[in-house]
Amino acid sequence: MRAAAICVICTDWRIRGAARAGCESMDADRNLHNDKKSGAGGIGWRFGALAAILLVLTALNLAVGSVRVPLREVLAGVGIGGGTVTDTVHNILWQIRMPRALAALILGGALGLAGYLLQTFFHNPIAGPFVLGISSGAKLTVALLTVFFLGRGVRVGSWGMIGAAFAGAFAATGFVLLMSGKVDSMAMLIVAGVMIGYICSAITDLVVTFAQDADIVNLHNWSKGSFSGITWENVAVMASVVAVTAAAVMWLAKPIGAYRMGEVYAASVGVNVLRLRFLLVLLSSVLAACITAFAGPVSFVGIAVPHLVKRFFRTAKPLVMIPACFLGGAVFCLLCDLLARTLFAPTELSISTVTAVFGAPVVIAVMLGRRRERER
Amino acid sequence: MTTCHVQTRQLTVGYRGIPVLRDVTVGISRGEIVALIGPNGAGKSTLLRGIAGQLKPLAGSVMLDQRELSTIGRGELARRMAVVFTDRIYAELMTCADVAAEGRYPYTGRFGLLSGEDRDILREAMEITHVLDIADQDFGRISDGQRQRVLLARALCQQPEIILLDEPVTYLDIRYKLEFMSALRRLAGERGMTVVMSLHELDLARHFADRVLCIRDGSIARYDTPQKVFESGCVRELFDVGAEDLAGTVWERLL
Repeated sequence: MRAAAICVICTDWRIRGAARAGCESMDADRNLHNDKKSGAGGIGWRFGALAAILLVLTALNLAVGSVRVPLREVLAGVGIGGGTVTDTVHNILWQIRMPRALAALILGGALGLAGYLLQTFFHNPIAGPFVLGISSGAKLTVALLTVFFLGRGVRVGSWGMIGAAFAGAFAATGFVLLMSGKVDSMAMLIVAGVMIGYICSAITDLVVTFAQDADIVNLHNWSKGSFSGITWENVAVMASVVAVTAAAVMWLAKPIGAYRMGEVYAASVGVNVLRLRFLLVLLSSVLAACITAFAGPVSFVGIAVPHLVKRFFRTAKPLVMIPACFLGGAVFCLLCDLLARTLFAPTELSISTVTAVFGAPVVIAVMLGRRRERER
Repeated sequence: MTTCHVQTRQLTVGYRGIPVLRDVTVGISRGEIVALIGPNGAGKSTLLRGIAGQLKPLAGSVMLDQRELSTIGRGELARRMAVVFTDRIYAELMTCADVAAEGRYPYTGRFGLLSGEDRDILREAMEITHVLDIADQDFGRISDGQRQRVLLARALCQQPEIILLDEPVTYLDIRYKLEFMSALRRLAGERGMTVVMSLHELDLARHFADRVLCIRDGSIARYDTPQKVFESGCVRELFDVGAEDLAGTVWERLL
């Protein structure tokens, strides 16, 4: 009797165990199929939130400054809603603040994207155009070009600036790549990048110090990093360069996704690793060059944004990361430029002063986080 | 030898122009499991990388169905051959299902989105390797043994006819070692999948392989059925262990 009861209990347990196992595998099954749907919802509202913040910050950047423009007039000024604005307000909005806000938006996005590409390329979380000396390389060639032509009374156009910046950025990246072939350690790679950055900055400073034209004052401001003095022509050029580059990056989303797991695995599923590596370097150099040509070197955005975005979206899938890094970089730079202009108004801070304050803690947090991960 | 699925002809491979493995001529038939055994540094991984096309031959060639490997396009090769190697894998914020799904790469479209069919194949692969229950777990937070099985699922997602594995069962406990090997056995039998793997577990090589390839000092010491290889006593020679070293150990009878 008792034995029979035990037996019943046993079978009962077994059935329950089997049923539970069945449920679990069904759960897993459902997750496998639904992960796209539920994930897409989570990602959708996050993109929405980021876009909303972007709009608010853009409006603030237009409204706030030495002349305060009420939000109603900002909207009227840009043609949303009725009403008219005075010529002064119209000029402030359209000639000064609008190009500047757009530059912060576009270049900020480009910086976020450049950082993402470099971190992918080097499998290194603290890679970025500034840390690897790419921004400084671009800065040097732009300074040389500007000083050379200013001495002859010729102004350099947007395309000339980008071209020069690209040459510098590509040369600096090439140097870092050469070093990365020689040293296996990622720490050494960063050291090499920081050193080439210092060398380029030193030469730039030297050039700027001994060039005594009046326009050099601009160069001086620029070499510290700033979104001021951007013209509509600049905006048009940077928008077209960044749009083409960003589209190209999006086009590479699939191989980038395979590459981030490691070269050997990427190659085994059919990625042309050499070509992809070359394209990653090319595209990140174009982006870094574009930023440096117009705004000078801007630190920490490239490193910090991909990490913040990754944590916010809780995914590292390139199809999400590429647009998200762009939006994130745009938001980051709009916020920092707003602070740079307003914190100590009328004195304007250089953009890197602000970005470093927000960006450096992120880098520290990332390194601490990684250490914790390793100790697990 | 006429119907070799994979064949190397006087293959010499190495790193930076320096040969590690010389003059290897080996034929492997379809659906066969070949175990590479030999001491550390003998060139087992190098041979696998040579067959995978990740190391270009310094001399000789690798043939796939009588076609030279270098004439096969990347995409086609990825649909025919999959690897589970020991290289570090970066999988930040990726679930096990994400990692396995990367194996669908050669089949998906421009942006790599998975179709319903891709998901079915993914589920089947994860079922075979018993990782369906950890599909949603972070790949970085699972055990080495689970990781190895997820990587096998990833390779199976490629629906390969050849699978190359470098010490795939090293981190697995005895139960999963056996399950892993049985799964490969089944795939070889049912799907005619050709399996080439390096193994340090000589007992498994003897039990599961169709043929054993003994590699020593960068060349082939012997290539035969496990029975003949293990009975000849050449394995002792291969690893430089004498009868007195083995006395009283579980390997005494095996070798």
